[in-house]
Amino acid sequence: MSAGVTIWRCANCRAGFFPEPLLCPRCHGKKFETDRVHEAVVEEISVIRHMIGQENWQPRRIASVLTSGGPRMTVGLRDESGPGATIELFEEGTAPFGRAKAK
Amino acid sequence: MFENAAIIGVGQSAYTRRPEPGQTALHFMRDAVVAALTDASVGAKDIQGMAVASFSLAPDAAVDLAWKLGLSLRWLAQDTNGGSAGMSMLGNALRAVETGAAETVLILGGDATGLAGYAKVAANYNTATQKHLSPLGHGGPNGVYALVASRQIKKYGLEKSDYGHIAIAQRQWAAKNPYAVYRAPLTMDEYLAAPLVADPLARYDCVPVVAGAQAVIVAQPDRAPKARPGVRVRAHRASYNYDNQEGDGLQTGISTFASELWQEAGARPDDIDVASIYDDYPTMLLAQANDLGLIPGNDLARFCRVTIGEKRFPVNTWGGMLSAGQPGGHAGGLNGISEAVLQLQHRAGERQVKGARLALATGYGMTMYRYGGTAAAAILERVE
Repeated sequence: MSAGVTIWRCANCRAGFFPEPLLCPRCHGKKFETDRVHEAVVEEISVIRHMIGQENWQPRRIASVLTSGGPRMTVGLRDESGPGATIELFEEGTAPFGRAKAK
Repeated sequence: MFENAAIIGVGQSAYTRRPEPGQTALHFMRDAVVAALTDASVGAKDIQGMAVASFSLAPDAAVDLAWKLGLSLRWLAQDTNGGSAGMSMLGNALRAVETGAAETVLILGGDATGLAGYAKVAANYNTATQKHLSPLGHGGPNGVYALVASRQIKKYGLEKSDYGHIAIAQRQWAAKNPYAVYRAPLTMDEYLAAPLVADPLARYDCVPVVAGAQAVIVAQPDRAPKARPGVRVRAHRASYNYDNQEGDGLQTGISTFASELWQEAGARPDDIDVASIYDDYPTMLLAQANDLGLIPGNDLARFCRVTIGEKRFPVNTWGGMLSAGQPGGHAGGLNGISEAVLQLQHRAGERQVKGARLALATGYGMTMYRYGGTAAAAILERVE
């Protein structure tokens, strides 16, 4: 687990993206720099209660979030944070997760 | 307007929730091809072109399927556009016939992944899903569209029962379709009591995976069986990656071409007699209908409660995928086209919409990261 989530910023127009693009959709620049975003606001949540083809599935929470770095992304929620909550982001492998920001 | 290309036949296989051991997607596709050839009164040797879409072909490709079907072709395409593949293939086939690349084209879609196979498809749909969504346990498309549905409910002030009107109305149509997998009546109480799958989506909001196949034959209009009216496509449009996944998913790619589609068709939403709107989720049916201008004032709630709930406008008269089942998005999209053809030719049996002359059909699909990135639509007309 590592703090923050990697996003990709166009070296030309500075727009941030997730996942990684090949050309910037805004200016079509081809150079990107990685950046880390650490916070996001939860916009919508869902609880995945059933997974096709899986038995003994335990419900998991996911959320669509607006990150402080610009792009929206889908994260796994590791607590009961709901819409409007500010969460801290972290990565496990290549997947983004979040939980309530420590006070 | 396509003047020199028309839909001359349609056919489908049986649909089943659980295929028999040894029964593969290829068997379902074969059955759909035989049915469509019979319907069009053409022989396999008359087919000069084929377009196919399926999750189940690999490691084979389209040419291997042509071999297995004994088709020697001069035009061949393999489409990968999921729920809009049917509509995408229809546009390509019409253009192939119109330009003389092939005189008669078979369009084919089908799948028999089974539930475990579908789970693998859903978890590995593209690299964004593999790397960034599957590790979350995101639930495949159910999880993706659960988030879109939450957004739609909030933005348009919908209630849970609003989606229920769509599911219930389509189940009533499905009762009249012998191919539909789910035909038993569905009440609002049953709809509301159904277990949640991915909040706020419950069982009847999520398209059921089935095995099956659909085929459509496009040719020059004079190849159509003489004993029945022809079906011409007045207008066809498609969109791919319309917003780089930077929107909210409540508008689809249809929003980029709807006005052109109506203009080319010389028609307005009020002129449509029957509509096939891609329905993997009621949420996305509403998004497409709104993009097409079928929902006055963007009043989605009224559309659900009055237009659909009071049966004022026939949508997905074969039961839609929500009741007939989804044999992969490819064949699911083709089902809507086939139903439009049957309705326009007044061959839809008990579910026939009286006097249908103009139909709308759509496709939507390819969940890229936050929602679908492909969409297509056509206006079809009965030609005496």
